[in-house]
Amino acid sequence: MDRSFLSHKSVVAASRKFVCIRIATYEDAAENAVLKRIFAPGGTLQNTVFGILTPDGKTSIVRAGRSPAWAFGGAAGPGIHQQAESVLLKMGDTMEAIALAYPGKGKASKGPLPLPYLADLRVALNVTACDRQPLVAVYGNTAQRKTMEAELTKLAWSDQFMGQVQYVAASKAEEFKAVKGLKAKAGFIVIQPEPFGLSGKVIREIAADAKAGELKNQLAQALGKHKPSELTYDQHRRAGAQAGKRWESKTPNTDGAGRSRPR
Amino acid sequence: MKLIPFFLTGLFAVNFWAIPVASAAAAKPAVGKIAWFGTWQGGLAEAQRTGRPILIISGAPQCHNVPGVW
Repeated sequence: MDRSFLSHKSVVAASRKFVCIRIATYEDAAENAVLKRIFAPGGTLQNTVFGILTPDGKTSIVRAGRSPAWAFGGAAGPGIHQQAESVLLKMGDTMEAIALAYPGKGKASKGPLPLPYLADLRVALNVTACDRQPLVAVYGNTAQRKTMEAELTKLAWSDQFMGQVQYVAASKAEEFKAVKGLKAKAGFIVIQPEPFGLSGKVIREIAADAKAGELKNQLAQALGKHKPSELTYDQHRRAGAQAGKRWESKTPNTDGAGRSRPR
Repeated sequence: MKLIPFFLTGLFAVNFWAIPVASAAAAKPAVGKIAWFGTWQGGLAEAQRTGRPILIISGAPQCHNVPGVW
């Protein structure tokens, strides 16, 4: 996945005016179908898909492809992670222009935002390992989660936490079978994913009835205990292969065709 | 999926690359990282509620089947 465009300051700044969705390819048949509608040369779903869509999700505003490079230029193969500044700014400026055209629905667009949940704990451990970020599981029954979400939402979109931590909902202890150290029956469970995202360990359990002020302090302390992997990309791949770490996607991986970008 | 060239929306009659939107990099300080919705349904619901456009990207969270890396 792109590690250049999407971390550029102009794109990050413009992203605050968008709803940003990042999904794991080959994990959900319905999501695969959505991705194929956006970009699937020859009807084949690729490993990576990029698009900018209208708010109803039905229409592409820029050219879709495997990465932002397909829409904004720059390297699409080797060198994809070291794009020229001018190309990165082109994406940021284009997003700013699109945001002017789709400014949102006034008050509705300023209401409380929902938590940006990942699909489930299995995917969440892997995704947060990929991003080298901590994970917060909102763990409890439906009523408990609703109460917890109301408090956590106050923090999740603040400058302090936005983009720094990811979230997943959980309702049963069995969902934590790959996570060591779970004791609570409900609460905000802060998790350190192991480097390969197949398991994790509990950093801290915060009470389910914690209010936003207390939650903020405890969450900040817990996130400070997170230790991201320091392996380089190549080191990670080699170490994972040697250790037999292997990811099995839930749907077949059909990547391969359509890699080259038509000019 | 339909593709409507942005410059044909009627909102911008000029090359929109040249729209005098101040370069975001110049106008704003660094602001951390993108906050992602992790599911299509969750993100789409929010886009429909707020009327904001969607930035979407996907990737398999593995490389040569080794997980923990995009």
